[in-house]
Amino acid sequence: MNTFNDIKELVTSLKREEKLISEMFSKRKSIDYRLSDALELVDYEESRIDLLIQKSVIRENGGLLELDSQFLEFFEQVLSVSEEINLSYIDENIKNIKENIGYFLNENNETRKYSYLRLIKKTFRNMGLITLRSVVDLRRNIENTFKNESNYKNKQLKLKNLDEKRTLVTNLIQQTLALINQEEITFFNRALDEELNRIIISLKHQLGECSHNLIEIEKQIIDYLNQIKQQGKFLEKLRKLKYLKDNFTIEAETDIRKIISNKNQVIFETRTNQSLNLSINFLRENEKAFESIKKIAKKHKNRLHFKPEIADRISTENLANNTEEEIMINLDEIRNRFVATSDNLFNFILNYDFNKEVDFNERVTIFCQIVSQYEQELTIKDNFNITNGIEYAMVFSK
Amino acid sequence: MITKYTSEIFDVLRKGQFICSNSPDNEIQKLYKVLEDDQTFEDLYEYFYQINYILELGNEYFYFSRIENNTDLDRKLEKAFHWIDILDFFKTYDSSFDVGFRFSPSEIVNQLKNNADLKNKLEKFKKISVDKKSYSDSIKKIIEKLEKDNFITLENEISETYKVLTSLNYLKDMITTINIPEEIENEIPE
Repeated sequence: MNTFNDIKELVTSLKREEKLISEMFSKRKSIDYRLSDALELVDYEESRIDLLIQKSVIRENGGLLELDSQFLEFFEQVLSVSEEINLSYIDENIKNIKENIGYFLNENNETRKYSYLRLIKKTFRNMGLITLRSVVDLRRNIENTFKNESNYKNKQLKLKNLDEKRTLVTNLIQQTLALINQEEITFFNRALDEELNRIIISLKHQLGECSHNLIEIEKQIIDYLNQIKQQGKFLEKLRKLKYLKDNFTIEAETDIRKIISNKNQVIFETRTNQSLNLSINFLRENEKAFESIKKIAKKHKNRLHFKPEIADRISTENLANNTEEEIMINLDEIRNRFVATSDNLFNFILNYDFNKEVDFNERVTIFCQIVSQYEQELTIKDNFNITNGIEYAMVFSK
Repeated sequence: MITKYTSEIFDVLRKGQFICSNSPDNEIQKLYKVLEDDQTFEDLYEYFYQINYILELGNEYFYFSRIENNTDLDRKLEKAFHWIDILDFFKTYDSSFDVGFRFSPSEIVNQLKNNADLKNKLEKFKKISVDKKSYSDSIKKIIEKLEKDNFITLENEISETYKVLTSLNYLKDMITTINIPEEIENEIPE
């Protein structure tokens, strides 16, 4: 495998491709990184990408690029953003310390003894940090899983696995503490190193903190698992009821009728508007009520205002000047003329020259009219005459 | 007059509504706090009992029930079925649909594109009761129904965000109480 020759080369090349690497790192979860996307970040110099591939910083797989797992892990570890909680580190460190303690105790050469001690101190220092980081990662992972994992079964499984990891961390902490407190008493007595003491104290402090955190995490996991269980159970129940309902068997196959019939909640009732009669006193005495009445009355009045119906046009025929003349008989004039004669009234009227044709019956009517109207001015005799089968009294002027 | 909120409490509960602890409505919040006091609760319980209403305390919500039943069984069943349908719909939309969950109609409409199951269920609704044409209209209608029964409420008018109230616990309790005999349970496909 073609690797970097020294640290300098490694750091310089990482520095040179900083843009690409940081972009790929930040997008490591969300998208598949294509060669074409990467080219833009290396100013379209494919050779630069090739170099990175050669040095196994990135790997190419069917047109897709990904950061080499070694580098990815390194970045994640250093930046404390690891998704995976790798507990083997802690385990390894414990073994490492045990081994080195053995070497330390066996070694007589002071210089070599010192170098073993240095290694032990370094490992102890690391252990505190790694354990703390694992705990933080654990907590983050648990929350992420609970909130983001959409598949129920996987969510439950993942949380269970994380819970197992939690137990592992707890065990490792206990092992470490046992190592310090019980197993290697001889070493600590012999080592007598100020710095080691400080490191151990800070390690114990960190481990204590971790234990507290783990207790909290345990509670959280139990709570989450319970929630999932409950939700899952509820969902299952709901789906079953829905299935039965859709098959129209729910009433026959469950006790839903019994349960529902015992439910007297108001929410089942239809919402009725309760109409209440207004208090007459209120209407009489309240100003506002009076205002409302006026308002309503006004509206009411308006409502009666029907639109007047428009009559049809008067036809021109009706507007034309049609005059009709009728010759009226002037009774006064007849009387005046009659007074000047000595004829009897009937005969006078019978022979009277009207301006129009007047038949016998009409003349009889006129005779009657004059007699009744001017009775005072006429003398009505007792003798009678007959003309055209009509018997009439003889009437003369006075 | 037991508290100065007695009539307000009555007015809300009488309509079949709930007084929920997580309601965004300040008025309801106030009433919830009043009812939370044990002594007030007991006094009001007695008070309402006289007029045939039973003041009940659920899981983070208060509601009324009646001494005598005012509705026939068929109507109640129908309502329960309807709730099962709607709840199933929302659970299909997001399985974490539960008390405190927030959503907006547009989010559900978006889901329709890539959730065939959800779409199917919505179309079934359309056949039964919703006569609207567009998906967003039907979804709004379904949401309105749940809102009318006071299980969700509009929290933010501008972003059209709805919030699931604690009264949903009532529905959940009801569903959990229904018993499916084991032999029938085994026949239901997963």
